[in-house]
Amino acid sequence: MIGTNATSLVKISVAGEIDNPRMPPLPATPYLITADGKPIVVPTFGGLVYNVRIGDPALGWQAELIQPGVSVRNQDPNANTALGVYACVGNRVTVTSGAADGATGTVIGKSGRFANQVICDFDPDDLEQMSPGDKVQVQAHGVGLKLDDFPSVDLKSCSPRLLEALNLRVNEDGDLVVPVKGVAPNYLVGAGAGFNPEKSPISLQTSDPEALADSGLTDLRFGDIVAVTDWDSRFSHGFLRGRAAVGVVCQGGSFRSGYGPGMVVFLTAEMNVLRFETSDSANIVELLGLH
Amino acid sequence: MLRTNVDALVKMAVTGYVSAPTLRRSVYRPDSEGTGRVLIGMAGVVYNARVGDPAFDWAGDHVEPGVSISHPDTEADYAMHYLTCVGNEAVVTSGRAAGAVGVVTGEHARLLVDFEEEILNQLVVGDRITIKAYGRGMRLLGCPGVLVKKAGPRLIENWGLEALPEGRLRVPVVATMPSSILGSGSELFPDFVDHDMMSGDREALAELGIDDLRLGDLVAVTDTDHRYGRGYGPGGVSIGLIMHGDSVMAGHGPGCQEMLVCAEGEIEPVIDPDANLANLLGIR
Repeated sequence: MIGTNATSLVKISVAGEIDNPRMPPLPATPYLITADGKPIVVPTFGGLVYNVRIGDPALGWQAELIQPGVSVRNQDPNANTALGVYACVGNRVTVTSGAADGATGTVIGKSGRFANQVICDFDPDDLEQMSPGDKVQVQAHGVGLKLDDFPSVDLKSCSPRLLEALNLRVNEDGDLVVPVKGVAPNYLVGAGAGFNPEKSPISLQTSDPEALADSGLTDLRFGDIVAVTDWDSRFSHGFLRGRAAVGVVCQGGSFRSGYGPGMVVFLTAEMNVLRFETSDSANIVELLGLH
Repeated sequence: MLRTNVDALVKMAVTGYVSAPTLRRSVYRPDSEGTGRVLIGMAGVVYNARVGDPAFDWAGDHVEPGVSISHPDTEADYAMHYLTCVGNEAVVTSGRAAGAVGVVTGEHARLLVDFEEEILNQLVVGDRITIKAYGRGMRLLGCPGVLVKKAGPRLIENWGLEALPEGRLRVPVVATMPSSILGSGSELFPDFVDHDMMSGDREALAELGIDDLRLGDLVAVTDTDHRYGRGYGPGGVSIGLIMHGDSVMAGHGPGCQEMLVCAEGEIEPVIDPDANLANLLGIR
């Protein structure tokens, strides 16, 4: 068992509302432009998404960066930043108004610039009762989490529940063994570079199927845990040899250039203290027992 | 002979005002190693950094050479951004330096305009600058796979571009770099502001020979598809202009703004140490 400072963490409420999809006012174009320059109209980001759930395939939807389940935002920009920074993957969320009042779920991801939401999983029966505008409260728990014996390992958006479920172990070489679905090279990272890693995900580009296959990510699913090598996500997302970032896939594929499935980073460290152990079960659905 | 549709282009005025630098109350920004820094270099008039000067090693961040202008009306500001091309003429139309003529040298969150030093010394925040926006819609007639982004006609004509058989184009640049070096700005598109080089690993940049670039340098980025977004695309090439200085933040660094792009390797970069805006436009 890895020692942590979890008992010293503060658990605090942050809240928002189930978001509504938004578009620029007409006559501005409603189209997104694909990598080939073609205009498309498809559901983008999240709100209340009925038929895409964590654990489903992340690629192949007629949608742009679709976010499974329920996406929550606070109308007050500063409160929304706190919601986005404090919420951690694995945190408990509760609906506090509307017909689904009292339903509980789990934080599974975050979206960054342009959407700025926290992504939550709920039971499909509860989704049927919900409406955009319903209030959702997160019991935020995880900011400040550290590993006792790995001071160079930086955790963010990582709840004590997720950390425990990951069941990290130390191997005979003293490395921290992290279960991952696949390991991507840094050149697959697109949007999100340069942004703050406490709340902004990074896109895994899928424009090169061969590179995707080499990374073990061809059949990527929402909830998969993925590592990016030669990448630093301590203070902002950026290229740095010898470091790595590990995250959870929480946004679906993209038709646009520079985008792809988004992952929220929960761990970043020097590569020489990490050992990635690839496994098809490295997905938070299984680890957190979501469904 | 490079043939273009330049005779069909519309030349139209857009206007901006010399901007004021702004900061937030929480003034410290973490650098790539987590040290809080106070940053200087964006907006306003930068007196001592001009096109042709180094892009690296300023004690500043995202240094914008010369004058940075913006428009207080959001939609007029977008029009100024989208319609202006590098190399366009800019004229001071109010204040002590009224009548002075400069040239657009790049597009960051504000448009960047170069003036002679004696003009810089006369400009004040709020002075109006009118740009003769010229270049949107430009096409290279023999090279249908090469898209012209923010290179204005004056740059296209003075660059030394050479049309090759089969729709290919030879483009002088000072250096080439792999797509993995580009970071912040990937979420935007190549007709709006720039794309930062990620300079956090200076040794890696030195190994690639791109740690001593200058403001105004033209560079090639390989394996990119920057036609309608900023993505990884094996075989594609993006020709960028280094238009603002380095940054201390991870994922950030000197700005690289698309001038010409292709997806299928139609662009053939050729190394030329003089491929800098200062030389090509006779700025200094």
